Amino acid sequence: MIIEAGKNILRFLFFILLQVTIIRHLDMGIYFNPFVFVGAILMLPLRMDKTLVLFIAFATGLIIDMFYNTMGMNAAACTFMAFCRPSILRFYSPAGDYNADASATVGSMGIRWMVSYAGVLVFLHHLVLFYLEMLSFHGFFTTLLKVILSGVTTLILLLVTQSILFRNAS
Amino acid sequence: MSGIIAFLRRFYFFVLFVILEITSLAFVFTNNYYHQSGFFNSSNRISGTVYTAYSGVTSYFSLKKVNQQLAEENTHLLNLATDIKDTSNHKKIPKTNPFGQQFNFILAEVIDNSTNLPNNYLTLNAGSDIGIGEGMGVISPSGIVGVVAKVSPHYSVVMSLLHKKALVSAMFKKSGTFGTLAWGDKMDYRFATLTQIPMSEKVKIGDTISTSGFSNVFPKGVMVGTVDDFKSIPELYFYVVHVKLSTDFKNLRYVYVVSDLKKTEKTSLETDAENSLNEKVK
Repeated sequence: MIIEAGKNILRFLFFILLQVTIIRHLDMGIYFNPFVFVGAILMLPLRMDKTLVLFIAFATGLIIDMFYNTMGMNAAACTFMAFCRPSILRFYSPAGDYNADASATVGSMGIRWMVSYAGVLVFLHHLVLFYLEMLSFHGFFTTLLKVILSGVTTLILLLVTQSILFRNAS
Repeated sequence: MSGIIAFLRRFYFFVLFVILEITSLAFVFTNNYYHQSGFFNSSNRISGTVYTAYSGVTSYFSLKKVNQQLAEENTHLLNLATDIKDTSNHKKIPKTNPFGQQFNFILAEVIDNSTNLPNNYLTLNAGSDIGIGEGMGVISPSGIVGVVAKVSPHYSVVMSLLHKKALVSAMFKKSGTFGTLAWGDKMDYRFATLTQIPMSEKVKIGDTISTSGFSNVFPKGVMVGTVDDFKSIPELYFYVVHVKLSTDFKNLRYVYVVSDLKKTEKTSLETDAENSLNEKVK
């Protein structure tokens, strides 16, 4: 139990540091602005209490906002993502239910499940974040393009990170 | 009463979600750039420490570029110094501060910077301890950078020129015709847009744009960039000028924070004048 909690905290630290030191400085232009740290929220145990996930997401969003100087925007996007997570999990749930130790990794759930689960939630997060960032629907399609391109980048980076570092996580 | 409790029990997750969303959105919409809530911006100790550590590693990669910039600036200053020494009658000394020093420049290192967001900020490793204050201008050896938005004792957050709310009063160096410089909709870190230039101005591609000094933020004559392109808006009798910025925002390492020693005097004089005029009108 304590080991499990420790693993989760370490994973959060890793993803936040990855985001604010490396990903933030990749600088691939305005259309490619990935937010890989959402992986930390996505990879919380699948059977974790949804209220707890909501609070964790809110707090994580605030920490990222602090580094990005985007007060409240990531908090809003992460909270929305955490709110949608139980429904998405139910939608993609395998026959029976998730195993007690199932985690959101390719190793545990398979590539197809992972891409659909993470894909939808990453898209929802980026949708809220980028439209809040523009604060208007001025340039609606530009922002939509940005949501899609950044979302795909986030997903790819997340899968790569997982396959390198969290292969054995279960 | 029991109805409310039953409702909350059934929908507590949704209610909680709404409360957290409203909290976040309240942060977003009350985030006035001068009155940001103290903790949640990158001038606090946690992000300051992370950024300083990061910058300590990455600063080596840009050393070559920074050296070149500093060498160029040295050459420029050396030329100025020789000019002043050579002129025996001191005619070339700037007349902007006839009665003593007006501007004080504080050196700071950029420990964090971004160029690809709709609102970009820089974090500097110097704060109110050495005299940096909110509202001060920030310039680099090659041109303007932004305005200090928030300070803590050891760090400060600068609203970059690459920010939707950034406005700078800028002018044509040769004629003094001034307008308002903003980043513009294209969100390209190399360009900005200068508006409200009257059609009487003979705009040429390559003309130099510098700060006008009217806004109390930057000294007069700091380099902004050169005219890259322009188009006329006949119905408003204005030109919209596309400016190629002289500051390389992707390679900022050392910047100067400009503190205007006579700013309080100037602003209080201006408000006094406004007040007395208003009284006369009454």
